[in-house]
Amino acid sequence: MSTVIEQIEQQIAQLSAGTIKKNTGKILSVADGVAKVDGLSEVMYNEMVQFPGDAIGIALNLEADEVGCVILGDPSHLKEGDEVFTTGKLLSVPVGKSLLGRVVDALGRPVDGKGPVDAKEFYPVERIAPGIILRKGVSQPVLTGIMAIDSMIPIGRGQRELIIGDRSTGKSTIVIDTIINQARINRQGLASKDPGFRPLYSIYVAIGQKNSNIARTIAALEAAGAMEYTILVAAPAADNPANQYIAPYAGAAMGEWFMENGMDALIVYDDLSKHAVAYRQISLILKRPSGREAYPGDVFYLHSRLLERAARLANKGSLTALPIIETLAGDVSAYIPTNVISITDGQIYLETDLFNQGIRPAVSVGLSVSRVGSTAQLKLTKQVAGKIKGELAQFRELAAFAQFGSDLDARTRAQLDRGSRIVELFKQPAFNPLPIELQAAVLWAMQNNYFDPIEVPKIVAAADHLKEFLQTRKPALLDALRQKAALDDTLNMELKKALDEWKAAYAG
Amino acid sequence: MPASRSAQTLARHLFQLSLVEGQVSADLVAAVLAYLRQHPPRQPVAVLKQYRRLIARQLARYEARVEHAGAIDAAILGAIGTALARKYRRPITTAARPNPALIAGLRIRVGDDLYDTSIAGRLATLAALA
Repeated sequence: MSTVIEQIEQQIAQLSAGTIKKNTGKILSVADGVAKVDGLSEVMYNEMVQFPGDAIGIALNLEADEVGCVILGDPSHLKEGDEVFTTGKLLSVPVGKSLLGRVVDALGRPVDGKGPVDAKEFYPVERIAPGIILRKGVSQPVLTGIMAIDSMIPIGRGQRELIIGDRSTGKSTIVIDTIINQARINRQGLASKDPGFRPLYSIYVAIGQKNSNIARTIAALEAAGAMEYTILVAAPAADNPANQYIAPYAGAAMGEWFMENGMDALIVYDDLSKHAVAYRQISLILKRPSGREAYPGDVFYLHSRLLERAARLANKGSLTALPIIETLAGDVSAYIPTNVISITDGQIYLETDLFNQGIRPAVSVGLSVSRVGSTAQLKLTKQVAGKIKGELAQFRELAAFAQFGSDLDARTRAQLDRGSRIVELFKQPAFNPLPIELQAAVLWAMQNNYFDPIEVPKIVAAADHLKEFLQTRKPALLDALRQKAALDDTLNMELKKALDEWKAAYAG
Repeated sequence: MPASRSAQTLARHLFQLSLVEGQVSADLVAAVLAYLRQHPPRQPVAVLKQYRRLIARQLARYEARVEHAGAIDAAILGAIGTALARKYRRPITTAARPNPALIAGLRIRVGDDLYDTSIAGRLATLAALA
């Protein structure tokens, strides 16, 4: 009992003995998640304001006679005449490793029923992105585990790579595979006690999604053991638009903590199209002037200031961003998609046609690009996958002619066959990311013509057989590939020996 | 129905005309009201309500409402008024209002600013920390 009294006395002593000064206002109206407040003469833009009860708001419209505040939380108990106070603070969220494995809302409050988050630090949700001098070039890879991406559209730590496509083309699957693969790499690296190993933590921000989708994502991450390295920020469709608007910035603040403390993090924004829609709703209710497609004039700035916070810092860590944009009818020239394409360092374009043809992941190699390129690729991948993109490009050109059924010369037919085999090789089931050493071995086999005798429809089965063979019979070779991260004469010989053994054993 | 932009603009303009050196002039307010009676604008109720709000807010800037739980004498009120006038660099009149809910201490409101030294205020802060 005396400890309880001491705790209370400590808390009383912490309170300043001086006068508490607040700037106040009165609610004039509350509608659609926005409160118009009279007063608040000293409020600053983006300042957090306190409503009665637990509701907080952000002052977004500072007009001559009133302040427009978006309400974060439940506004149902608010009424005209209620008093509102400024807090003198910007909206902040808890940050730190204690958030790993947790599902939180846009304000960093846990929603997974696992108790409070023990966070020691809070970062403001809105922050200025790091300047030019503080940055460093992107040179370390982010391995997604998806062969089509790691070989031809490599992503680096500190890069922003957009994932864009129509609904149900596999955008979320790509990012979940990436998170799962990173978790596997983290486990392996931390177990090896390598002092140079840098784990990559993941933050998945779900914006405007169905709760069932979010639950499914959590289940997939938990099943793969990836949740312990992941923070999930949930702002589902049922949340008010203000929460959906804030959620990506809250996630970015959590990622910045890792970056500024010398660690690497990956943040996924799924998806920014819904984020733009939520911001449009708030802006229209605040009576801000609307522009193209009824979006406010600063919708570009909405995403540019978010994505610029992803960077690689000199002498510190990095934050890699994978924003997702959903297109309608494959239109990448629409307003929001073109905005985000111009901000990011490349895009992975997923096509519905490819998806329907059974090519999954449905990555359009022709329209996808990584502006960082092979700088962020391991030497091992560069050595085996350097020519693949060119070969696929040639295949696509020739495939158009082949449709006409004209007689083809042997060389053209060989190129078409090779291209078809590469396309088959890149097919990969969902939630099954491949380690980079396995990808390299399979691509080496392709480059050295081990798949040429196999018919195109049987390539997938053959590749699966090869992967199983290497994982069960040649784990030492895979370990060597992973550790050396480059091919030398010895590894080339060992690969040849292993592939010859596989070829002899594979009945096909 | 919320006031239109033109009603708000008119009300603000009339408000500016009602001030003398930043303070509300009763004569000018009477003149404005007389003018509006003779030349009623569109949305007269909205204009008047907005005008009233602006005038009330301006008047509140020059008055300190001092809520107190216990007894408070004129000397204390005078000292509060003098201190606030020095801080805000404008004349401030004081008006005392008893409020036993404060338990002890004072709560002073000047315009939008609230100064709270009451026990009730500190208990509310403690409760918010918990």
